[in-house]
Amino acid sequence: MTTEEPGARDIVLEIDRLCKAYTRGILVNDNISLSLRRGEIFGLLGPNGAGKTTLVNQIIGLVKPDSGRITLDGVDIIARPGYARQACSLQAQTQVPIAGLTARQAIELVGRIRGGDARSVRERASKLIDQLEMEEWANKAAESFSGGMRRLVAFCMAVVVPGRIVILDEPTNDVDPLRRRLLWQEVRNLINVGSTVLLVTHNVLEAERAVDRLAIINNGRVVGMGTPGSLKENGDENIRFELVLEPRVDSPALPEFIQSTVVTGRRLVNRLAERDIAPAIQWARNLKERSIVEEFSIGPTTLEDVYVKMVGRADALEMPENEVNHETIAS
Amino acid sequence: MKQSLRSYGLMLKWQALSKKPILALTLVVQVMIATGFIFGLGFFYREITPDTAKFITTGAPTIILMTVGLVLVPQMVAMARMEGTFDYIWSLPVPRLVYVAADATIWILIALPGLVLALVLGAIRYNFGLEISPLVVPAVLLISATGMFLGYSIAHGAPKPEMANLATQVIVFAIMLFSPVMYPIEQLPGWMAAIHRVLPVKYMADLSRGTLTDMDVNLGLAFAVVGAWCLAGFVITYALVRRRR
Repeated sequence: MTTEEPGARDIVLEIDRLCKAYTRGILVNDNISLSLRRGEIFGLLGPNGAGKTTLVNQIIGLVKPDSGRITLDGVDIIARPGYARQACSLQAQTQVPIAGLTARQAIELVGRIRGGDARSVRERASKLIDQLEMEEWANKAAESFSGGMRRLVAFCMAVVVPGRIVILDEPTNDVDPLRRRLLWQEVRNLINVGSTVLLVTHNVLEAERAVDRLAIINNGRVVGMGTPGSLKENGDENIRFELVLEPRVDSPALPEFIQSTVVTGRRLVNRLAERDIAPAIQWARNLKERSIVEEFSIGPTTLEDVYVKMVGRADALEMPENEVNHETIAS
Repeated sequence: MKQSLRSYGLMLKWQALSKKPILALTLVVQVMIATGFIFGLGFFYREITPDTAKFITTGAPTIILMTVGLVLVPQMVAMARMEGTFDYIWSLPVPRLVYVAADATIWILIALPGLVLALVLGAIRYNFGLEISPLVVPAVLLISATGMFLGYSIAHGAPKPEMANLATQVIVFAIMLFSPVMYPIEQLPGWMAAIHRVLPVKYMADLSRGTLTDMDVNLGLAFAVVGAWCLAGFVITYALVRRRR
């Protein structure tokens, strides 16, 4: 949790005890409270179905909350969804309807719709196309675009005339690694022009590098909130100890100092207190000599580890695993 | 107001560009329907008098506009709903009715060439004269708007988009066969005629007949009934597009 309380003037968006159920009794958002400070990149992390997009849809006025409040610059946007749509620009998770348009046309049209004048929108669109290295596609019809290129166009549509809050829902899905870097640079630039960014993602590695603060949500509830650093420091078991077992070997009995084990296939990710590093290394070396463990590594806890622990299951992450064994070891 | 007009212009451009890939094909289909409509009629009767031909030909605008409003529009909306694109469109700072208006405008423009062609071909083929009143403009706009609003109501009101698609099939069948557009209302059984004295379809045909020919129809009543349906469709559409889940 955050230690310092921001002044009210720093808060641009405030969500207070928000609840939403599409089906009676099944809460998709369960008492969610969080606030975005002016000029920050705030991450909303959670596995598929955690309720992230539902939360976004309530901010933008597509979905009506059952209870709770959302205020933007002090304005009640549940009562005035039109105000929210003026103030927020969204890169939705769904497809943008750009068939028949070129990338440039789509970006410029949204810029004009968001109130930009023709000339500055044209200049800004050209700059974005240039910076994201999209020139080759700028004047081609969107039907021929790959999924990644469509995401990039949708991103440009959201940021060509950025709202005071820019909401990016999985902005880098299907985008190639090189352009992902360029895209994150553009996200940083949004802060320089005075926007606040709400980044919705399940890609923890990217979020860790991009966000100033984040909330982790699971099953509709906020299960953790703070800076990546503060979330990682939670508790004294802040060392990550990873073992990869030899193929077709049963998991060994774990010593008592090993905590919070998450198993994905042959990979065991554990947490340790700093004082237990030496015995852990010794224990792992011994297993390696007995051909039970193929390799092991030790290092500081990552946000991914915190996330997996909070979300409570490894399959919430997109692990590069071929063989997934859902057997888990009680910690 | 100025802002709405600006948004309307921009959404119109967006819609026009997005229809571009299917525009040519849609126009060809419209022209085929119009031509088929006029020449196909000849097969129904051994002999068509100019008066019968006039009656049938002036039913064409209603059939064409209703096909666009109640079939094409709901199908396109249903497709967009399935793709989830409304979640994006509704997140833009554009009043939703402005978007609906822009969409409807494009569809009317797409329907117009076929409509005019059907009338001209009919008049030439069956040799009767058209007497066009200036009221034809509000009449065609009213028929179109009513069809579109009812189409939007079905498309956005259906619990599932697939149901809207199915509903359009039933509607087009009912309009083609069981509506007093291609034949006088007196030829329907009493109970069906009674239904059609409340539904807008007969009055839509009256609107085109009264404004395109010298045929004797109660234009005032036709404007009133279609106007009422248009208003109802508008109110339902407005409520549906503003609705939050």
